[in-house]
Amino acid sequence: MLALRGALIGLAAACWAAGALVAACGSAWAHDFWIEPSTFRPGPGTAVAVGLRVGENFIGDPVPRTASLIDRFFVRQAGEEQAVGGADNIDPAGFLRADGRATALVGYTGGGSYIELPADRFTAYLRQYGLDGIVAERERLGESAQPGRECFYRYAKSLLAGARADPAVTRPLGFTYEVVPDADPTTGGPGPVRGHVLFQGRPVAGAVVTAHLQGQPAMRLATRSDAQGAFAFPLPQGGVWLIRSVHMVRAGTLAHWLHHRDWESHWASLTFDWPGPAGLAGAQP
Amino acid sequence: MRAWLRILALCLGAMTGAPGARAHEIGTTQVQLTLGPGDTWSATITTAPTALVNKLEAAAGQALSRDLTAERVLAALPAYTAAIAAQVDLRADGAAQPATVAVERVEMPSDVTLPAFVVLRADGPLPPGTHAVTWRYGLVYSTYGVVFTDAAGGAPQTRWLEGDAASPPFALAANAAAVSLPQLAAQYLQLGFLHILPEGLDHILFVLGIFLLTTRLRSILVQVTAFTLAHSVTLGLTMYGVISLPSRVVEPLIALSVAYVAVENIMTARLTPWRPLVVFAFGLLHGMGFAGALADLHLARRDVIPALVSFNVGIELAQLSIIAAAYAAVALVCASGGRKDKPWYRRRVVIPASSLIAATGLFWTVQRVAGF
Repeated sequence: MLALRGALIGLAAACWAAGALVAACGSAWAHDFWIEPSTFRPGPGTAVAVGLRVGENFIGDPVPRTASLIDRFFVRQAGEEQAVGGADNIDPAGFLRADGRATALVGYTGGGSYIELPADRFTAYLRQYGLDGIVAERERLGESAQPGRECFYRYAKSLLAGARADPAVTRPLGFTYEVVPDADPTTGGPGPVRGHVLFQGRPVAGAVVTAHLQGQPAMRLATRSDAQGAFAFPLPQGGVWLIRSVHMVRAGTLAHWLHHRDWESHWASLTFDWPGPAGLAGAQP
Repeated sequence: MRAWLRILALCLGAMTGAPGARAHEIGTTQVQLTLGPGDTWSATITTAPTALVNKLEAAAGQALSRDLTAERVLAALPAYTAAIAAQVDLRADGAAQPATVAVERVEMPSDVTLPAFVVLRADGPLPPGTHAVTWRYGLVYSTYGVVFTDAAGGAPQTRWLEGDAASPPFALAANAAAVSLPQLAAQYLQLGFLHILPEGLDHILFVLGIFLLTTRLRSILVQVTAFTLAHSVTLGLTMYGVISLPSRVVEPLIALSVAYVAVENIMTARLTPWRPLVVFAFGLLHGMGFAGALADLHLARRDVIPALVSFNVGIELAQLSIIAAAYAAVALVCASGGRKDKPWYRRRVVIPASSLIAATGLFWTVQRVAGF
């Protein structure tokens, strides 16, 4: 027990240290994207407004629904997948009716938006998100002084807690980049929240993964995934959490030639309400 | 031939596997910036109330408010007007101008399907004789539009900004420095040239398509003349507002024209009677495409004709450069291949190159149709 506590304290210290490092890098252009439903614990039959947010430290600007940006926008509940409906140019971006019997998973993929940043801002943004490998690659290619030209893609997931946990939420959805929890976190319980980051279905080693608590921008944990793409966060308190990670790859030659982009970034996020280490009274595993 | 088809399939696969850039994540923030009247500026900022209050609270190191109502936002924001003003960065010829901010309106309907917004008004002084201003607002993460309006005249201009990025300079018409005719001509000649080389890949491929039909100089001259006449006509007519076609129509057709000339190169090796007519028709479309580059510059009426002529000359020089480079490349390929007969040139150069151009043109057509 003591060994476990020691390991958890060590893990927490590592997370806080990494978080402090990330926070110290300062702000550059780089914004997270996540799903923010009107409630993370809807009862059966509850109408849920599904908001999309872009921002930092879990403070986000609303992003109205833009049909041309959406690849997939759906909810998986009660063993079925349904599209999340909504009206274009309207925030919230979608609406759904919660089944409520088990945890529901809302998924969104979209993007393909292009951005070009001056060299210094691009480098600052890469460092802020722990993409030091890309900084080194730009140096190797002699591109450090050139503007950063990238296309970014979004892969957001959100868990709506139901009467019981649903192990289905631990299965990958097949997104290009994805944060996959090892267990349904909406029921809480002792021990860290664990998960994996997958790029094209394969684990990503060394990816910076951060966790943010809603309403407390200073509460930010960061860690790096291990060789199996695994990460763990000893969340210090219950509340709505955002776990996110960004992975960047070199754009292909044709994408470079036809679309004038050098890099493609993939932003994965997962939002959920974690009740805390004591878990939910009466929750069924 | 099979090898070329394989390469073509690979190229198409790679191209379609890499989706094109699409619209940005446009948030709910909007800014209307008015320069003048007199020596003042004012801006109306419409933005999301909860996000605004939370950003200000976070910056002040305070706990973030949840479940805000219009009344609570109205009560909270006056304490932050100085903090908001500090994030409004209007620069006149590079010099930061002070701003004051007031809260005009807050709407937060209980019905979540209705928009929640706060309207802020920022204003400040504008030094006399200011030539250009830039705008930056630090309390926004999403892409948003700023409409610049010069109270002294001119059409409003909308600029899309990424979060807290600064806008490009917006020139004030009354104080714009006069440019001499030679300066203007040189500026637009360069613009016309660069619009084709290297920026206009679709136009480059179209000109290469014209070139690849045959190496006979007369055939190339006939086609280039038809193309030049046509795009000159529509460029002028579009600039003067006589004709107008939306870019969602023009751009896919330009891409289709690239595919067409390349496909015809594969089908025939002769200058058919209809080819110059078709090239002329496509030239009309390309001219409208060229006009888009000039229209964005909002030229003063007195500058339209010299700019138009110079821009067109720049385009012609770029086209001639492409043809000269293509001639040189073909001469090199033929010399290195040790063969100069027409069947060899057609089999090894015209058909593979035209296939690639046709595939690219078709890909663009689909991409542009899907993009609009």
